[in-house]
Amino acid sequence: MNLTRLALVFAILSLLGFGGGNAIIPQMHADVVEKYHWISSAQFTRFYALGKLAPGPTTTMAALVGYAVRGALGAAVATVAVFLPAGILVFAIGHWWERLRGNPWRDRFARAIKPVVLGLVWAGVVTLARGAADAPVTVGLALVATVVLLRTDWNQSLLVLAAGVIGALTLR
Amino acid sequence: MTPPPEAPPRPSLLSIATTFGRVSATAFGGGQMGAIRREVVRRNRWLGEDEYLELLAVAQLLPGANPTNVAVLVGSRLRGAAGAAAALLAAVLPGFVILMVLAAIALDSRLPAVNGALRACAAVAVGLTFANAIEMTLPRRRSAIDLAIVAAVALFVLVLHASLALTLAVFIPVALVATRHDAA
Repeated sequence: MNLTRLALVFAILSLLGFGGGNAIIPQMHADVVEKYHWISSAQFTRFYALGKLAPGPTTTMAALVGYAVRGALGAAVATVAVFLPAGILVFAIGHWWERLRGNPWRDRFARAIKPVVLGLVWAGVVTLARGAADAPVTVGLALVATVVLLRTDWNQSLLVLAAGVIGALTLR
Repeated sequence: MTPPPEAPPRPSLLSIATTFGRVSATAFGGGQMGAIRREVVRRNRWLGEDEYLELLAVAQLLPGANPTNVAVLVGSRLRGAAGAAAALLAAVLPGFVILMVLAAIALDSRLPAVNGALRACAAVAVGLTFANAIEMTLPRRRSAIDLAIVAAVALFVLVLHASLALTLAVFIPVALVATRHDAA
């Protein structure tokens, strides 16, 4: 298995991955399971679950595919390939977008897109809540967290980790 | 018209990296996007609500994972190319390391305690996203057009399970027409 192909597959995924991390998962499956047979479908599902479990972007699961193909070097290559090309593209377009400031079309577009994106944020709240606020305890935790985060500037990382400890002791 | 934002502050590269790195290392349960907004807008005041929402829009329109796209755009806005690189690296690296460690101990991850911890973290992630959505919506509460678009988009996605591409294709033109006489 050559590293160039590994890098190429993930770089293309990175650049065609419109719609955020979750949107590229089906294409990643098509490439690494069905087309190149680097891993089995069951492995893919397990890697996806681990990607969800870890705190970073789910797309980081590319590292596990890379590891299965070529060990630690494969993991590093896949990770760089899946994040760097899109990162550079976003940087370039973000730069261009800044330079357009003052252009009336840009302002019209920026004005219009904001409530649309906010609608997506709210849809995300409901989607996350459906999966995670699924019992009285988790609903309660979610609501307490909401109020605390609205009322205080407390660090949300500490809140997440504290909840993790409480959950480990009391939830199953 | 979007008011020209004040020049953003220039935090050190280290503080950009530690902020995104801390989020990437700790956002168990799906709260990374929420944690990034809270850090950037509320706790550090690096960007205003409106400016952040615009970057979020650009991030969603482009290919790539949302957290890394937002990291690049925020980093770039604060400290140019070096800021973008620091933010991108910090948004990926801690999560990558933790993922590799988790994979190494994956056989034990069926432990009920791990499951309980993750359920609680995910519940806090819901609260984080919810609190953010409220804070992001408050500045627009007097615009009936905005609230109508927000509600229509959310319902479109939730009820019809529409893809991001379809949602944007339908609602960007609608929003362009609806807001054509409107100041931001």
